[in-house]
Amino acid sequence: MRKKSFLLTFTFMILITLLIACSGSNESSGETDNNSGETNNNSGETNKEESPNDTKQVEQVLNIANDQEPAGLDPHKTPAHSSVRIYSQVYNGLVQFDGSMQIQGDLAKDWEQPDDTTYIFNLREGVTFHNGNDMTAEDVKYSFERIMNEETASHIASYFANVESIEVLGDYQIQFNLKSTDATFLSNLTNASAAVVDQTVVEENGDLQQVAIGTGPFKFVEWVPDNKVVLVRNEDYYNEDLPKLDKVIYYTMKDEAARLSAIRTGEVDLTSLTAKSASLLKNQENITIKDYQSLEYSYIGFNVEHEILSNVKVRQALSLATNRESIADLVWNGDAVVSGPVAPSMGDWAIDVKAHELYSNDIEKAKQLLEEAGYPEGFDITITTASTYADMVDTAQILQQQWKEIGVNVEVKQIEWGAYIDTWLNTSADILVGRNGSGTDPDRALNYFFHTNGSANVWNFSDSNFDQLVETGKVTVDEAKRKDIYTQAQESLLELSPNLFLVSPMKYVAVRDSVEGFTPYPHDGEYILEITKK
Amino acid sequence: MYAYILRRLFMLIPVLFGVSIVIFFALRVIPGDVAATILGTDATPEALAQIREDFGLNLPIYEQYLNWIGGVLTGDFGESMRTGKEVLPDILSRFAITFELTLIAAFISWIIAIPLGIIAGMKRNSKTDFSVRILSLLGVSVPNFALATVLILVLALFFSYSPPVGYVGFFEDPITNLQILFLPAIVLGTSMAGAVMRMTRSSILEILRQDFIRTIRAKGAKERVVIFNHALRNAMIPILTIIGMQIGVLLGGTVIIEQIFSLPGLGQLVLTGINQRDFTVVQGSVLFIAFVFVIINLIVDLLYSYLDPRITYK
Repeated sequence: MRKKSFLLTFTFMILITLLIACSGSNESSGETDNNSGETNNNSGETNKEESPNDTKQVEQVLNIANDQEPAGLDPHKTPAHSSVRIYSQVYNGLVQFDGSMQIQGDLAKDWEQPDDTTYIFNLREGVTFHNGNDMTAEDVKYSFERIMNEETASHIASYFANVESIEVLGDYQIQFNLKSTDATFLSNLTNASAAVVDQTVVEENGDLQQVAIGTGPFKFVEWVPDNKVVLVRNEDYYNEDLPKLDKVIYYTMKDEAARLSAIRTGEVDLTSLTAKSASLLKNQENITIKDYQSLEYSYIGFNVEHEILSNVKVRQALSLATNRESIADLVWNGDAVVSGPVAPSMGDWAIDVKAHELYSNDIEKAKQLLEEAGYPEGFDITITTASTYADMVDTAQILQQQWKEIGVNVEVKQIEWGAYIDTWLNTSADILVGRNGSGTDPDRALNYFFHTNGSANVWNFSDSNFDQLVETGKVTVDEAKRKDIYTQAQESLLELSPNLFLVSPMKYVAVRDSVEGFTPYPHDGEYILEITKK
Repeated sequence: MYAYILRRLFMLIPVLFGVSIVIFFALRVIPGDVAATILGTDATPEALAQIREDFGLNLPIYEQYLNWIGGVLTGDFGESMRTGKEVLPDILSRFAITFELTLIAAFISWIIAIPLGIIAGMKRNSKTDFSVRILSLLGVSVPNFALATVLILVLALFFSYSPPVGYVGFFEDPITNLQILFLPAIVLGTSMAGAVMRMTRSSILEILRQDFIRTIRAKGAKERVVIFNHALRNAMIPILTIIGMQIGVLLGGTVIIEQIFSLPGLGQLVLTGINQRDFTVVQGSVLFIAFVFVIINLIVDLLYSYLDPRITYK
């Protein structure tokens, strides 16, 4: 009797748990139903539009593994790469870079410059947002005013701080008035975050973190948190030939081993990889590894107000004691090039740093400089690094070895990403290992990071001669003169060494052989518009 | 009995209150905030100040707490600082996934562990016993992440298999859903099984030595009856305690396993929340996890009295 009652209760409990489970997931699936209900409207539309395309045998779907969850979809508010790679497919800007980093029109078909501080853009006519609204000059004005509005707290507000006013000249003509000559203005406009958005959508939704309605080649369908983001082809894209794919799905897969196995078995078609994993896949059938030189470089940042590090000779000695080639070899499997403050993939803008005296890894000279600075025996110091990124930790540990040769004893302190950002922002570490993107214009790499008032100059670095150079560089339109100025600025930075610039790594993308027409560029590792699938 | 349950539920209030205070202030003690992590190297003082103002992070800390807890008391857990999504629905939909995974993993562990544990206990020091003990030691000591990574790599390299990418719910597509959850459930199940196996074995061993078992045997009962009707039931209490703890922990989200298998569960939500300093998400999730943990403990306690009528609650 007792046994039976026990069995009964036990089954009962299990049933209850099951019921709870079911009702729980019912709710959630109900929600997703709602979601897909909404999106069904979208895809319903696209289905209708797609129906004449039925002649195409297979739906062209590209599955991409995203190594981080997107942090929101608002182009004006979200600098995270995991987000940019998605919203850059949904929105357009006024101008864009082509494959060789030359500026060409995007939503603007052409532009003129009546004087140094005025730009007039003629917009493409007949471009519509994904909700069917026409894209006009008013939308462009609204978008840039939204970026510049302090309340938006846009990460690219500083790019357009020099814009005095924006005037709508006609439905398809708009004029930007600048406060002063600005050689960086056009290249700033190519930033994926300088996207043209629809005012009505912002007003309906408060912001654009959850919705994405742009003019771009792909339409946003849905974002299932920590799972996937789905985009479908925009049939009304202004360039009728593009994109060639019908659908793109970004799956959030944070684990590198999982991404590796998914690309091996063909569950995903495209994924970015670290140097170490790329070498694992090199001989794999059906997979091609594409590499490209990134616009990033790794660096050592000094708090130049630190008692010891304030002495420029100490910083130079540390630069001499650093063997950058061996960092490239050990941290990046040899696939990285020695870099200055402007990454070598910026082409002509970057100076050749290899020949620079401070890059010569001359230990004797380093010791001598330390002695002149008053530290013949060396000193003890802490390098702080982010445990989140293996390359930064490796770099710190290699420096620990290298600097020992001149008597500098390094303690490596690893902190988690949120704390690292905080440390960076408040300069609360003596020495920080990091990685910077040098942007698409040398102004970003030099002015923004090292001018006395530069937003990202967290190093307390200040040099009036350097400040003057980058200020002149910003307002010099003549390209040859500008190049000359930035060459001087870079040399002065190397000499003063507020940061030690280390190496610029290669980036890797693994692609299934069924994917055709994919070429990654330094400024856009993911140009997918020309892709077709076999 | 009902009075007991009510009293236990009533005790939830001080527990959750304590948890809310600890998590709220702990998050604000660790360096970094959401404004800095959103903006990264694009941070300007104006933008940082604006974002902090938007989320009320510039208010005095007690005022921030009162604002938050006031919302929670009315069922409003706030919105994610990163994505603007409402926190509570997100927690619930992710909990459903974590719950399903936990349940499958638990079943797998019971199917393996309880029978093996019983056999080992019955045949002490036999070859079977030694194999079970080695097995359970392996289950306990091989870390989840290692087993998971090895499993993924071996399947991909030698069998060209990887689980389908992109989570789908059970009610959308049961087959794919189970395919996705199978590997993580195996990994979690085997490590849970280790502990349960050891506990079952030692618990059975202990019970079999007791007088009442000898009496039952003396009455000529079959061994099957002795084990299943008498020994197992008495041995269940410590096993249940372990299982209860395991389930409680797993329901709080299995951070590493969810990350490796790309499952959008509760663990990922908390982890991403912490990394991005998304305070509202972390606070809400931790509060919810504490709630679940207390409830699971209550259920385990109630099960005790079913298993052993000598235990009563008043």
